[in-house]
Amino acid sequence: MTTAHEGLLSLREATVSFHGFVAVDHLDLDVGAGELRCLIGPNGAGKTTTLDLICGKSKITSGEISFKGAPIHMLNEFQIARTGIGRKFQVPSVFRQLSVRENLCIGRSRNPGVLHNLFQFGLSTDREWLEEIAVLVGLQDEMETLAAHLSHGQTQWLEIALILAQNPALILMDEPTAGMTAHETTKTAMLFNRLRGKHTLIVVEHDMGFVRDIAETISVMHQGKLLAQGSTEEVSHDPRVREAYLGSGGIGHA
Amino acid sequence: MSGKVSLQILLYGVVCLAILLVPMVIDDAFLLNKYSRYLVFGILAIALALSWGYAGILNLGQATTFGLGSYCMAMYLKLKTVPIHTGSDGLPDFMVWNNVTELPWIWEPFYSTPFALAAGILVPALFAGLLGWFMFGGRVTGVYAAIITLAAMVVVNLIIIDQQSYTGGFNGITDLAQFQLFGFEFDAYSATTYYLVAICLTFALFLSLAVTRSKTGLILQAVRDQEERVRFFGYDVAVYKTFVFAFSAAIAGLAGMLYTIVMEFASPTFLGVPLSLSIVIWVAVGGRQSLLGAMLGALLVTGVQGALSESETFLDTWTLVMGGLFVLIVLFLPNGLAGAFETIVRRFMPAAKTPTEQADEEHAKGTAQLGGAA
Repeated sequence: MTTAHEGLLSLREATVSFHGFVAVDHLDLDVGAGELRCLIGPNGAGKTTTLDLICGKSKITSGEISFKGAPIHMLNEFQIARTGIGRKFQVPSVFRQLSVRENLCIGRSRNPGVLHNLFQFGLSTDREWLEEIAVLVGLQDEMETLAAHLSHGQTQWLEIALILAQNPALILMDEPTAGMTAHETTKTAMLFNRLRGKHTLIVVEHDMGFVRDIAETISVMHQGKLLAQGSTEEVSHDPRVREAYLGSGGIGHA
Repeated sequence: MSGKVSLQILLYGVVCLAILLVPMVIDDAFLLNKYSRYLVFGILAIALALSWGYAGILNLGQATTFGLGSYCMAMYLKLKTVPIHTGSDGLPDFMVWNNVTELPWIWEPFYSTPFALAAGILVPALFAGLLGWFMFGGRVTGVYAAIITLAAMVVVNLIIIDQQSYTGGFNGITDLAQFQLFGFEFDAYSATTYYLVAICLTFALFLSLAVTRSKTGLILQAVRDQEERVRFFGYDVAVYKTFVFAFSAAIAGLAGMLYTIVMEFASPTFLGVPLSLSIVIWVAVGGRQSLLGAMLGALLVTGVQGALSESETFLDTWTLVMGGLFVLIVLFLPNGLAGAFETIVRRFMPAAKTPTEQADEEHAKGTAQLGGAA
């Protein structure tokens, strides 16, 4: 069921080692525009590190990462973000001392210059746009609430909303449903299915039920390498994947 | 603009108006001079609240930029004096004593009023901008940034003391002319000077309020909370921090210029560690996340300090009393007096909210219902 997408992001021989430990090892990965790619693998497979490499949080030791046809691995975090890559972190990181509306306003970073923003007042710009996003994640009644007072699930959604406000071409999601209730997870899956096509998404996830709900293509990582890639069916029947997950009761229980 | 913001502007305006009306009630030149000094400290506190309270940059060397502003004004006013002990070219007296025969090139432009006034603001801002660029570009944060600001101050202080023939060294620059602008004469012991300081304070307060209320101010608060996170939205955090650091320095420079007018001299002690740490105390007492709080904190602490040190009962123990008060406030009021004020307002107002906040909420509910019906 893999559909043809125009290439957006590609990692070539991407390698990173931390003090001799090779976390990502000659990884080749291609993601097409509009695709929703799930990245799974056992603990320590290098999934989060791969996202770190793409968004510039860590720098590759060798190899190349290119986005929209241009290499980005030597850019700063903020420069990479400006090319159109947004990142949601595993531990939800929002601005706890600010209200939901203020958080969203910061997420809306189309114009990141200090002087331009010096003359933006009252959060009135993009008001409707931000409210639409709040509706999308169900936070429209919490606009004036301090982010610190949100529940865990709401905090996860707020961070997703921040990325949507940023409106990047490529969204990197690190375990977006971590700590969510089953109901919240279902709602998140619905949200992701709505984002499909408008944004390109790479989702790192442990919850296989969630992955089945949203995935079109799954990439399985193991020990820093790409182990297998394909549809849910193909991947879960792949003997190498079963091998990698050995001991944890198979892919369904990872 | 929401009701909360208008209420804040109103509160700030009322306080500034009250400050401006003081000379109507008090007609004592000595007192007015003392109060002008306190107001200058208030401006300095605003400068620190901007960088520390809003952007999380603890500047332990705020007095550096204050001192630079002060020296710019002193150099300007020194050149305006009718020379008494001077050489053939009307050199400042301390240069003659140091056998300087020609006015140094660095002093030359200070004959010009516009240059001197601009320099008092721009020299501190450029200094801080350069220091900030290296610090924040190199991602120095937290306590390390604080130590660098402190070290930079010690360096500038030593340079000023060392370059006696250009700066007057330990003695500073004394025996200055009176500041004159647009036909006004600013005698340090007069209501005119008090008004000048009060108007500058109002200007600095509202300009800073505008910065904190802009999206840039919002982003700075985000940087304070989660610096790393802000980068991944595409904001160049180093530029934002450098901006607020330089802006804060410009305000401190303005305060420094006014201080020279009020004190009638400039001295290396203006760039000292004691003053710098005092600013931190004022801001901590007043509330670092409130510009008005920080400003009032400075007035309160310096006012009480002045009163205690002059009273006979506390003549020997006033520093102890001040220290005790500071410890108590930091222990029990982590957000200073402004934080305590907000807590009280929230507790005693009906429904734990100010009326304007309630109105806002009702408005928000109304629009939400409309959205639901559509």
